[in-house]
Amino acid sequence: MTGGLQRVASTVVLVALSLLLTALILWVSGYRVGDVFSGIIQGAVTAPGAFTSTIRWAIPLLLIGLGVVIGFRTGFFNIGGQGQFYIGACCALAVSLGWREGPVPLVMLCGTLAAVGAGTVWSLLPGYLRVRFGTDEVLTTLMMSFIGALVLQYLTAGPMRNPSGTGQTAASERIPDAFRITDGSGVSATVLVLVGGVALLVWLLLERTRFGLSMTLVGRNPTMARWQGINVSRVGLAAFALSGALAGLAGAVELYGPGARLVTGFSPEVGFTAVVVALVGLLTVGGTVVAAVLFGGLQSAIIFLPIVTDLPPPALVLLHGMVAFLVTIRFRAVRRPKTLGGKAAAS
Amino acid sequence: MEQILATTLRSAAPLVLVATAGVFAFRAGIFHLGLEGLMITGAFTTVAVGDATGSVELGILAAVGVNLALSALYWWVIGPLGANVIIAGLGLTSIGLGGTAFALGAIFDTRGSIFTDVVLPRPVRGITSGAGVIISDLSILVWITPLIVLAAWVVLRRSRFGLRLAAVGEYPFSARSAGVNPSIVRLQALLISGSLCALGGAELSVGALRNFTENMTNGRGFIAFVAVIFGAWHPIGAALAGLFFGFADAIGIQSQINITERVPREFVLMIPFVLTIFAVWLGGLWRRRSLEAEAGYAELREPD
Repeated sequence: MTGGLQRVASTVVLVALSLLLTALILWVSGYRVGDVFSGIIQGAVTAPGAFTSTIRWAIPLLLIGLGVVIGFRTGFFNIGGQGQFYIGACCALAVSLGWREGPVPLVMLCGTLAAVGAGTVWSLLPGYLRVRFGTDEVLTTLMMSFIGALVLQYLTAGPMRNPSGTGQTAASERIPDAFRITDGSGVSATVLVLVGGVALLVWLLLERTRFGLSMTLVGRNPTMARWQGINVSRVGLAAFALSGALAGLAGAVELYGPGARLVTGFSPEVGFTAVVVALVGLLTVGGTVVAAVLFGGLQSAIIFLPIVTDLPPPALVLLHGMVAFLVTIRFRAVRRPKTLGGKAAAS
Repeated sequence: MEQILATTLRSAAPLVLVATAGVFAFRAGIFHLGLEGLMITGAFTTVAVGDATGSVELGILAAVGVNLALSALYWWVIGPLGANVIIAGLGLTSIGLGGTAFALGAIFDTRGSIFTDVVLPRPVRGITSGAGVIISDLSILVWITPLIVLAAWVVLRRSRFGLRLAAVGEYPFSARSAGVNPSIVRLQALLISGSLCALGGAELSVGALRNFTENMTNGRGFIAFVAVIFGAWHPIGAALAGLFFGFADAIGIQSQINITERVPREFVLMIPFVLTIFAVWLGGLWRRRSLEAEAGYAELREPD
């Protein structure tokens, strides 16, 4: 990690620059930047329940973001977190509604496993095409993400639609309260232990195991990794599988936690924001935790803010875009292998 | 049937324009995921400026101007500053989607959508029966879209610039040794691309309709991106793919009206995405080297 401090500094500067540019746009549009700033502090930290809300929004960002860290470190631009998240949530919902009379812990375990499995499958398909045929994973994961969103839309508007539901937005039935691990706030000891444990496991995997090291090596230089006897395809597939599993798990947590039911197109930005979170976190587990809380705080504030300064939520999308636009400037940790898999590997 | 074809042309025109935009970027070796963002800034600026000045031409001019500025910024960030092409592109899309929705609130003090009186001229209008329905009430942009596609093909195939673009995309080293500055050529390609996105967005907001709605592009920029891949990076191919996706969209709209019970609309909407996965997979198998512009792509990822 040569120049680690420099990278941290440049990321902090770039994120600050993005905030500054967004503040400038707000100022030009006639918002009082001071009010917005104090509103953000209130909405993310100081107001009653605000910090809980920050953590609630940080949790899916962290889980999906950790998947992004694994993928990007191994050199794969798996940007399909959104679809994997949706598919995971859908499968957990299907299990929980289909077997709602079953023993609670067993149903929840099956639902969570279904979510993790579905996310894995959703990610492994592009992963297999990538390592076997060299098919560009940016495109395929993006496409799988769109397909996942349409599957959710189909299920919530069709087979799983709440028959007694009213209103325009398609939504599923609620799962029984016994299945839930949090109340509507989305934060409880169970969730925190679960998510903390997962983050710890990912850290151990990446920083303390041989396999994690081989992932980083494949990401840095796949040719060299192959010469050193690493099975590059297997490491690549594992990276895709783990990314998908984490995003699927995030879907299950969302359902069993704050959601309790699925609404079409819920949390539409979370997959992309998780990519931003991982990059701001410099593709490290600790950094991603910090970045997830930061962006969770902004998300929480934007829900809180309309009360304070009537700032419309799209301002947050604008800010995320700004950070993404700038944060990879001079970013050198991510390199995609150009010769992995398929014919190119043979030649 | 006439109705489906008429809807096809309306749905396809913005896709084809943005897909042509994508072809220019791709030929320069840039994986342009900001198309969606540029499309919506085009749609919004046309409505905002067009409504303020009462002139649709000024609106489009302003939209092109805004997109030129955004494209130049994108070039600056991914070129000289060395940011990641894909992440910055997705960022550009978020800036477009978030920025226009935000501006809608800030300028018009509303959320959702605004209506406007300005509209693109429609050369043929008022035919209500027979095959004429297909071409009736199409905006002027739909009529000139085929010309733009042909022009793009001629430029890419027959002009000095087109050759330079191909060289930069496929092998920047040889371009440089021939005295061409790849960075400048990429800027030119992105500027053309941005202008075409502005036209695509304008067709969306004041061509078929007369309004701007938050997130009205609704993934069309990505579908256009897909059309570029599906059309093998060729302007004619991309246009045909755009036309096909427009047709799929038209069928989706029709099925929503007629046969919702049998074919859920979501499955029709999935067609482009599923096909794309097949297309990039097979395309990668067949033409690994020739069209992927890999070298240019690689150079952008790690500029010198």
